[in-house]
Amino acid sequence: MTRTARRRAALLALAVVAYAIAAWAVAPGFYDGIAPPAPYRWVSPPPQFRAANQPPLSGHATIRVNNGRVDPGSVFTQDGQAAISFTPGAFVAPADGSQVTIQIAPQTTFPDPRDIQLATNVYCFTSTAPLGSGKDALITLQYSSGLPAPGDVYMYEGNGPWRKIGNTGSAAPFYIAARTTALGCFAGGYPRNASQAAGARLGGQTLPIIVALAILVVVLAGIPLAVLRRRGDAGDEDEG
Amino acid sequence: MVVLAPAGMRAVGLAAMAVILEWARVLALRSPDRQALTLIAGGLALCLLGVGRRPAELGLAATRLPERLIGGLALAGILLLPAAVRWGGGPVLAPEFAVVAVAVSIGEEVAFRGAVFAALEQSYGPAAAVLGSTAAWTLAHALSHPPEFLPAVAAAGLLLGAWRWAVRDLVGPIVGHVLADLAL
Repeated sequence: MTRTARRRAALLALAVVAYAIAAWAVAPGFYDGIAPPAPYRWVSPPPQFRAANQPPLSGHATIRVNNGRVDPGSVFTQDGQAAISFTPGAFVAPADGSQVTIQIAPQTTFPDPRDIQLATNVYCFTSTAPLGSGKDALITLQYSSGLPAPGDVYMYEGNGPWRKIGNTGSAAPFYIAARTTALGCFAGGYPRNASQAAGARLGGQTLPIIVALAILVVVLAGIPLAVLRRRGDAGDEDEG
Repeated sequence: MVVLAPAGMRAVGLAAMAVILEWARVLALRSPDRQALTLIAGGLALCLLGVGRRPAELGLAATRLPERLIGGLALAGILLLPAAVRWGGGPVLAPEFAVVAVAVSIGEEVAFRGAVFAALEQSYGPAAAVLGSTAAWTLAHALSHPPEFLPAVAAAGLLLGAWRWAVRDLVGPIVGHVLADLAL
């Protein structure tokens, strides 16, 4: 390998490392955002979003039963803000072989979350058949890009209380997901006493700013340096 | 008599035009009508910035195509790795937006790593080409992305630009970018 080739390979490797650090600092990482995210539809919008807020939408679907097993599928609200995904046989098949109906509805009233700061609407998921024993489903919730991201998904059944069911992460920006073994009502949130939300686990807001500044310095300082070096090289050639 | 601007000025103008095209696309998308058409038109308009240059200048020479394609897969793997290790399911790109994602990705690569890179390299050298195309690419995403996403966008631009310089290839960045956009 020539010296030039080694230099190119080394700089390429450096770019890979820089990308890995920057992309790890913000979930999901590289995101090209083909279309800008639609504004979040709030049940009770924070003051800054009140003027332009649209009400959130509900969703429902019927799932077929084949050979005694409920088909796999995903059910979304019409605005895409809440979804449930499940594998074949996750729901108990009705004895009469009828289809399973799943509904998702945003809630206006819910138990006091106490020490949890909710960062999304509360969505209740209901179905005409329960989840099977040892089976689970994936709940995915969108959150607003204008507020701190939720750190976990919380749920309650019946009249509460709220409990944390975790965060499996999501490859889509502004979405949080978690697995559940029972249906109920779900929301994204974080502890009220936490100084930061989900971002803290992924490096907080400080790391992205530091990485941004570092890249900005390299880019902005590098351009004039490169031009000066080019001119210097040309000057040397002229003198030679 | 036609007076042409100096090559350096033309390169900067080309970068500015690419940024303006991207911003225009983002602003047009704020209207809910004909979003897919707007995106495809935006991708095609970016491709037009490469018109007038030989394919080899843009990094699109037909030699060693298999290696270039494999390189593109490797780039896609690197771009998607941070999301992949945190994968927990979630919505994927709707099928009707797949064609759109391909058009926009190709347009962005032809414009930023193709035309802008080639113009800056001819005028100011390879370092300015990598850094300048990265700066323009990051600026182009400033309207469509929340600020906290811009470091990752800039770093992705730096990686794709570094590949373009080190391998003299645009096929890899196109393949990597298209796959990453389809996946996320």
